[in-house]
Amino acid sequence: MAKTIIDAHNVTKTYNPEKVPVYAVQDVHVHIEEGEFVALVGPSGSGKSTLLNMMGGLDEPTKGSVIIDGVELTELSENKLIDFRLHNIGFVFQAFNLIPVLTAKENVGFVLQLQHMPKKEREKRVLSLLEEVDLEDKIDSKPGELSGGQQQRIAVARALASKPKIILADEPTANLDSKSAANLLNIMAKLNKEENITFLFSTHDQRVIKKARRVITLVDGKVDSDVQQTPT
Amino acid sequence: MLLKLAWLNIWRNKRRTIITATSVFFAVLLAITFRSLTDGIYDNMIHNVVSYSTGYLQIQQTGYWDEQSIDNTFEEDENLYQELLKNPNVENIIPRLQSFALASYTDKTKGVLVLGIDPDKEKGVNNLHEKITEGKFIEAPNENAVVLGEGLASKLKLGINDTLVLLGQGYHASSAAAKYRVKGLVKLGAIDLNNSVVYIPLKQAQYMYGAEDRLSSVSIMPNKTTDLQGLKRSIQETIDPEKYEVMTWKEMLSELDQFIEADKTGHFIIIAVLYIIISFGLFGTLLMMLFERKHELGILIAIGMKKHLLAIILLLESVMISLIGCFAGIIGGILVVKWFTIYPIRLTGEIEQVYEDYGIESILYFSSEEKIFIVQTLIVLVLSILLAFYPGYKVMRLKPVEAINS
Ligand SMILES: Nc1ncnc2c1ncn2[C@@H]1O[C@H](COP(=O)(O)OP(=O)(O)OP(=O)(O)O)[C@@H](O)[C@H]1O
Ligand SMILES: [Mg+2]
Repeated sequence: MAKTIIDAHNVTKTYNPEKVPVYAVQDVHVHIEEGEFVALVGPSGSGKSTLLNMMGGLDEPTKGSVIIDGVELTELSENKLIDFRLHNIGFVFQAFNLIPVLTAKENVGFVLQLQHMPKKEREKRVLSLLEEVDLEDKIDSKPGELSGGQQQRIAVARALASKPKIILADEPTANLDSKSAANLLNIMAKLNKEENITFLFSTHDQRVIKKARRVITLVDGKVDSDVQQTPT
Repeated sequence: MLLKLAWLNIWRNKRRTIITATSVFFAVLLAITFRSLTDGIYDNMIHNVVSYSTGYLQIQQTGYWDEQSIDNTFEEDENLYQELLKNPNVENIIPRLQSFALASYTDKTKGVLVLGIDPDKEKGVNNLHEKITEGKFIEAPNENAVVLGEGLASKLKLGINDTLVLLGQGYHASSAAAKYRVKGLVKLGAIDLNNSVVYIPLKQAQYMYGAEDRLSSVSIMPNKTTDLQGLKRSIQETIDPEKYEVMTWKEMLSELDQFIEADKTGHFIIIAVLYIIISFGLFGTLLMMLFERKHELGILIAIGMKKHLLAIILLLESVMISLIGCFAGIIGGILVVKWFTIYPIRLTGEIEQVYEDYGIESILYFSSEEKIFIVQTLIVLVLSILLAFYPGYKVMRLKPVEAINS
């Protein structure tokens, strides 16, 4: 059996607990194993982003615990948590993921620089990452000179840079046309297969959902269904 | 990496950065020009005053300053001169014997200040000999001749070649009396002095007061006037501290010093207001740079950048913007000061008259002391660091999710 990479236990997030409480996520239990390719779906406001943020250590659960690769996130100090994210979790957000003043190459290398990787090694790795997302010809372009799909692919390359255990992506295709979305998903699926990187991504898009091998559906902050499927 | 990011970031909004840096530029330029001008005026004023009176430093017999009597004079000492001139910062020394006397001409009598001077040495430090309005200046140290302040001459109603009688108390209660030919009249800026001074060759003064070879003071003109305390200490180390006392002009002319200090406080306030105004501009820019980048900062924290590194970037941005303005301002300031050193401003009209009346050259000098430039740079640097504290504090408290969603 593969090992558990994400273990969300009893996770609850309540906004405004004093005034008008919003139960964004309630008592969610989710186990995700290494190498899974999971879509998180559900209607708008169902708690997808909130749950993803808590799993990435960007937000603290009101109750419950999130254990990533055996590490209980709520027990880490702020700086330890930032370091943990740097080394273990890759993030892709909906849009504007990149630092606008840096080139594609510099954006991807940024994470490696934060990890103090020597320049030579870093440049090699950045180049191979950009090849993985088919953008080796855009290394010196700034984000403003790239299409939305290209920017998202660079964001994926950056998320990969530190060789994280998991990549969390909150609606990575929401701002893309269907061709770019399919292209991004194919790259993600390839990385998942070839490098055994665990992906957990939220989406509204039926065509994206079809590519997942497991679909977790949230409704009103609760897990409504959790099914395995064969991607098409 | 942090430096590079900060540098790239400040040019994201070129116009805003240029406007902000330009405001710093003008503030620094104005502050430098202003400080340089006022310091130049003070320096000139001090120089004018002390060169006729105490010198920047003065050596007296211990106790003379409190009781300025002829009995508290000391014997002229070639060794003392040599010790003083050995000091690399001493440019000129001016021995003087100074006392009081009654001066009379026909039926008029007035109390006067008798200044025994060495005409050659005076020439080296002041332009007394050029202030002659009638007759000639005394030349030899033992010539039987005196030069009077114009005001005194008109009170005594005497003119060139008349004979002035001086009467006073000499050394150790001897009596001092002598007659001198009036050789010239000088017009002095300081009204008191103009109305009461009698310049007399040093040897004649010593002879008259029965104080052969004695001096009341040796004034010192240094070659740089910035570190008088240091010079005072180094002089004190070379001379007999029991016998001699060294004083700076600030100690002797405390009124002038206080006047300048008070005036400087006023200028300080003006400059402070100037910097407060630009601080608001810079602060506004920093806040905008923070708020419009919140999303990006949130992403950076999410992907693993520590908040203090972001705070450092914001700090560097603040320092960079202000130093660009500051260095431009300093270069501008140097050019302005250089320009006015080469082409000084000559005062005209009434102001010129006022200056001339006070015996001060009617030229506005600009001080090019490095201190002025260094101080402005430091002020701007400190301001930019202080102002970056608030955005830095904000970043430290940034919650990544909220930032990303903004
Ligand atoms: N900071 C907040 N303060 C208060 N309520 C919040 C906050 N963030 C989210 N919520 C609420 O929590 C619930 C879940 O929001 P969340 O953003 O997780 O939903 P989502 O499934 O990602 O929706 P979408 O598909 O529109 O992105 C919503 O009802 C939302 O209004
Ligand atoms: Mg969402």
